[in-house]
Amino acid sequence: MRFIDPRHDRWHRVEGEDGPVPHPDPLADRLLTLEQWHAVRDTWPRGLAAGLLLPNTLDVDTLAEDLRGPQPRLALLVLQFPKWTDGRAYSQARVLRVRHRFGGEVRAVGEVLVDMLPLLQRTGFDAVQLRRDQSVEAAVRALGFFAGHYQGDVRQPQPAFSRDLLAEAAAVSNDAGLYAGQGI
Amino acid sequence: MYQYTEFDRQFVRARAAQFRDQLRRHLDGELPDEEFKALRLQNGWYVQRHAPMLRVAVPYGELSSRQLHQLARIARGFDRDYGHFTTRQNLQFNWIPLARAAEVMELLAEVDMHGIQTSGNCIRNITSDALAGIAPDEVVDPRPYCEILRQWSTLHPEFAFLPRKFKIAVTGAHEDRAAIGWHDIGLQLLKNAQGEVGFKVLAGGGMGRTPIVGSVIGEFVPWQQILVYLEAIVRVYNRLGRRDNLYKARIKILVKAEGQAFVDAVNAEFRHILQHDHEGAAHLIPQAELDRVARCFQLPEGLDAQRAPAAAPAPDTLPAAYRRWLERNVHAHRLPAYRAVTLSLKRAGQAPGDATGDQMDRAAELATRFSHGELRVTHDQNLLLPWVRDDELPALWVAAREAGFATPNIGLLTDMIACPGGDFCALANARSIPVATAISERFEDLDRLYDIGDIDLHLSGCINSCGHHHSGHIGILGVDKDGDEWYQITVAGSDGSTLSGAAVPGKVIGPSFAAEEVPDAIEAVIETYRRERRPGERFIDTSRRLGPLPFRAAADAVRRTTAATAV
Repeated sequence: MRFIDPRHDRWHRVEGEDGPVPHPDPLADRLLTLEQWHAVRDTWPRGLAAGLLLPNTLDVDTLAEDLRGPQPRLALLVLQFPKWTDGRAYSQARVLRVRHRFGGEVRAVGEVLVDMLPLLQRTGFDAVQLRRDQSVEAAVRALGFFAGHYQGDVRQPQPAFSRDLLAEAAAVSNDAGLYAGQGI
Repeated sequence: MYQYTEFDRQFVRARAAQFRDQLRRHLDGELPDEEFKALRLQNGWYVQRHAPMLRVAVPYGELSSRQLHQLARIARGFDRDYGHFTTRQNLQFNWIPLARAAEVMELLAEVDMHGIQTSGNCIRNITSDALAGIAPDEVVDPRPYCEILRQWSTLHPEFAFLPRKFKIAVTGAHEDRAAIGWHDIGLQLLKNAQGEVGFKVLAGGGMGRTPIVGSVIGEFVPWQQILVYLEAIVRVYNRLGRRDNLYKARIKILVKAEGQAFVDAVNAEFRHILQHDHEGAAHLIPQAELDRVARCFQLPEGLDAQRAPAAAPAPDTLPAAYRRWLERNVHAHRLPAYRAVTLSLKRAGQAPGDATGDQMDRAAELATRFSHGELRVTHDQNLLLPWVRDDELPALWVAAREAGFATPNIGLLTDMIACPGGDFCALANARSIPVATAISERFEDLDRLYDIGDIDLHLSGCINSCGHHHSGHIGILGVDKDGDEWYQITVAGSDGSTLSGAAVPGKVIGPSFAAEEVPDAIEAVIETYRRERRPGERFIDTSRRLGPLPFRAAADAVRRTTAATAV
């Protein structure tokens, strides 16, 4: 999982005084809204990577054409958590990964809290921009509690019933540090 | 019962460790109340009127003696020595200080228990038929499927923050003892003409302020595909369910608003997963997994399935009290020499569904002695012993009587469902327990109770409907008007059982009653039935035939402080 520091992010929104510029020029490292993308997608050069900021109400199947082909122009999809308890983006991320085979960056922004990290990782996010008050250290710790899960996910598509759990358990019991200090 | 594997144990311990970390951050001030809330809810910790409430998951209602003894220990050591069994087959503690939460979670983990997903906007603990695996009318034993669903839904990463809570109930019998029509998803196991096993799938049922009965969206989903089908339903709901209005966020509102379009969306999603998704077929259930889980649900060790039934003594040689207990609390079993026996948690002086630590221990001892160490929590908030030999019934009766579990009232008026109400619950508008107590006292006389016969009385302290008032033959709903407690009464609701007819919410009989009027109003309703019933008619039959008006007139006639309005 990559933790994004917005001060050092290569991607930039294209905004004027009145909000998003309606027809942004095709330049590198541009993070576009869906409306901007619709305005320029027919003329956007092949080989120029763009990022998209998607509302969490979007049915990501509608992006199918943009995601298809050997050289997709989209390199970053930013999914939003307007409230951290609004879980729509988890479904978006998973469908982008497993159905549309999107191989670029899937980033979580908005109210992103450390305790969401296991869910984000398992549904296909590989980058997060934590809410400003959140601790990266706690976020990393949040990723470490579970050795395995019952149901398959984006990282481990096989559910527990299809995996070799004995081997997994052996690996964990050797990793004495995992539960250290947890009082169990 | 399902036997935990090392993986299952490690998983529960990992969850306890994760929760301990979250709790520490909360108590250190790093994790504010509002953010800790959703995390503790998904571990069963709910802040109530007096202290946090802990809701312990009892998966599909199956409980061992060892687990119940441990719950008794928690009740004594951490609570005020009691717990409350709920309509969703769980157990709630009301008085455990949050600072001791992590300790309690670890005691639960010792006996393979936890509070995972017993609250919060996620897939809740799955409920089932209390007679699963033992009912004579069973087509398919639902327990192995319940367990597979439990595992699939546990910490599902995509479905932890749905628009609203999400409840699944499963039955495998002809008779619906799990009220599946009242759930977000109801699953009925059946066999097709070729003898293959599959699920009839209902979606969009729910109570609350807009009671809606689920509609069938899949007539026969082969068992192998059920996880994929559920994934499709829940994903469509996660994407399209309303999040702008708490009261319109349940899947029932989406299903009702979209109708066939919802069903089409689910079917399209289902096809997409299987045909297009990377490893989309990974959650088709293999036969080997079903077999592995089903092995846990074979007959208990030492049980003799071939044993011939004991010769039944002539009924007139038995004490009347024992006969009544046989009639009400003892149920037929798929094995002819065995019976299922309900331990009534509906008795004078205690709230419906409550048990003290000592009573939990006594029930666990009865299970050890008479039922191979196994119990069930029933939807009606009683305990049930699933493996009782017919020749041990007299001994069980004596022991159950001594322990206070033998009130022969199962299915009768005093075997009512009630939520904890305003005495405990922060959501409640009105108290449930004093009303339940007043009604129980009014109808104490057993001869009268037997004359009234089969009836479901359901009581909720608020519109969240934990006491399932919509589905009661008589429903009582606590409402708040200007800070006072009032009670709305309905008749002719149904949970969907054969006795009650197709699931339907009851009809209101006039404006709300004051608390002190409720026992009189209920009595007036009951007396109307006794006067109007035709031979063989039960309350539900008469109330359906007559409609609400005669009941309303009778209840209006006993009002003292409230005024009836013109019909």
